[in-house]
Amino acid sequence: MRTYEEINSRIESGDAVVMTAEEVKAFAAEHGVEKVEREVDVVTTGTFGAMCSSGAFVNFGHSEPPIKMAKVWLNDVPSYAGLAAVDAYIGATELSESAPCGYGGAHVIEDLVGGKAVHLRASAAGTDCYPRKDIDTYISLRTVNQAYLYNPRNAYQNYAVATNSSDRVLYTYMGKLLPHNGNATFSSAGQLSPLLNDPQLLTIGMGTKIFLGGGIGYVSWEGTQYKTNVPVRNGLPVGAARTLAVMGDLRGMSPEYVRGLYFTGYGCSLGLGIGIPIPILNGEIAKAVSVTEDQIFAQVLDYSVQSRARKPIREVSYQELRSGTIDIGGKEVRTSSLSSYRKALKIAKELKEWIEKGQFDLVRPAGEFPAERSQKALEVLSCEEA
Amino acid sequence: MAGKKYHLAFTPELVNEPITFTLAREHDVVVNILRAEVTEHGGTLIMDIAGDDAKIDAAVAFLRSKGIDVRGLERTVVRDLDRCTDCSMCVSVCPVKAYRLDRGTWEVQLDRHRCIACGLCVDACPAAALRMDDVGPRA
Repeated sequence: MRTYEEINSRIESGDAVVMTAEEVKAFAAEHGVEKVEREVDVVTTGTFGAMCSSGAFVNFGHSEPPIKMAKVWLNDVPSYAGLAAVDAYIGATELSESAPCGYGGAHVIEDLVGGKAVHLRASAAGTDCYPRKDIDTYISLRTVNQAYLYNPRNAYQNYAVATNSSDRVLYTYMGKLLPHNGNATFSSAGQLSPLLNDPQLLTIGMGTKIFLGGGIGYVSWEGTQYKTNVPVRNGLPVGAARTLAVMGDLRGMSPEYVRGLYFTGYGCSLGLGIGIPIPILNGEIAKAVSVTEDQIFAQVLDYSVQSRARKPIREVSYQELRSGTIDIGGKEVRTSSLSSYRKALKIAKELKEWIEKGQFDLVRPAGEFPAERSQKALEVLSCEEA
Repeated sequence: MAGKKYHLAFTPELVNEPITFTLAREHDVVVNILRAEVTEHGGTLIMDIAGDDAKIDAAVAFLRSKGIDVRGLERTVVRDLDRCTDCSMCVSVCPVKAYRLDRGTWEVQLDRHRCIACGLCVDACPAAALRMDDVGPRA
């Protein structure tokens, strides 16, 4: 048993024992979970993958004369400006109006993080207090006021494995799916994934300090579509379950961990790196971080079924997914990961270094997330039924 | 067995010639057809020809003697390593297993000798790290 205060004082004095999620699993296999509880202070996790439900708030500053922007474009990508005056939200999946195939909000965010100038256009009706009706200029992180990611749904706790039994290629957010179950794709970082190392969110909650896009961020709320009513195996959900809303300053982030992605036939997404430190407060947490990929399972779904109620074809372990092939109906099907294990590992190592150097301390959550939550569906209802 | 890759263009009247059979039997080379297409304008074949260099040269001379336009295929996929995130999406869409995810470094590796320049990986790459080079078939 140890407390946040004890761990932080050990971090401050340079004595904290920090391991990446990969290292702690090897350590547990050799020495046992009890030794993890006794000797390890913090375990660092990491994930780098497509996180579509992401975006950034930017405050541009006031022009002379001032404008209350009603329509805003950043590099021709429409941004939401239904906020006061010179605030806008650039969503990751919004597509460019001039180059919709390949460039979108996620790429704007990457460009900003990379220090590039971004073309800002805005129009307005003009009011007595904000007389200006349009503006055409360039901005960058040097010129704007606040610019921070606010992502409503990131770091999914597990996700489906996608395949395609139809006779045509499918272009999906799970990548290019070849006909006749020609391949299978998965997106979770598996044993490195933050929420699979603390499945009950005993240490992760509102206010948790995290590695976000190469900089420092915070967990700000439960993520949208957060749910707990999913099948569980070895204490871990086998499908998409808990999620996090996160936020953090774009300044300090790096294009290495903030990447515009484009999925042909689907659209844009943000490739984002997230790392979460898990304090080993007790034996239950020590056991949770010791879980290995042979114990983590995901459901294989047929994406040619165009319904929210797809029935899983089978469950498959991350060990099998990681081997390069899985068995679907007697056929050896090649697998692709949509998230980068190399980058996930790099994030876990970088976060470990920050903690070891005393540059990053642990924050006790200011609020816990629900122990139980089911996800509602959208039905077509009358006004009275809603 | 990987040999040299060639792009063959046929006129419509040559489409019915059993050239792969002749190549194998008369010229003692191993022929692997990587892509084939026939339209009203004729046909194209991308093939891998393996064997002794002298035999491959003789096989190519035979093809040219039949009036087939034969060009060595230099096209290949170019990877932008700055854009690549090593996600491995390309690995499972490649029909000839030219991509491999290294289980030690977790980096994606491309074996250019295997690549048949089919381009199936290009629109599969979310990071836009892949493109076909513009060298094209060379004479």
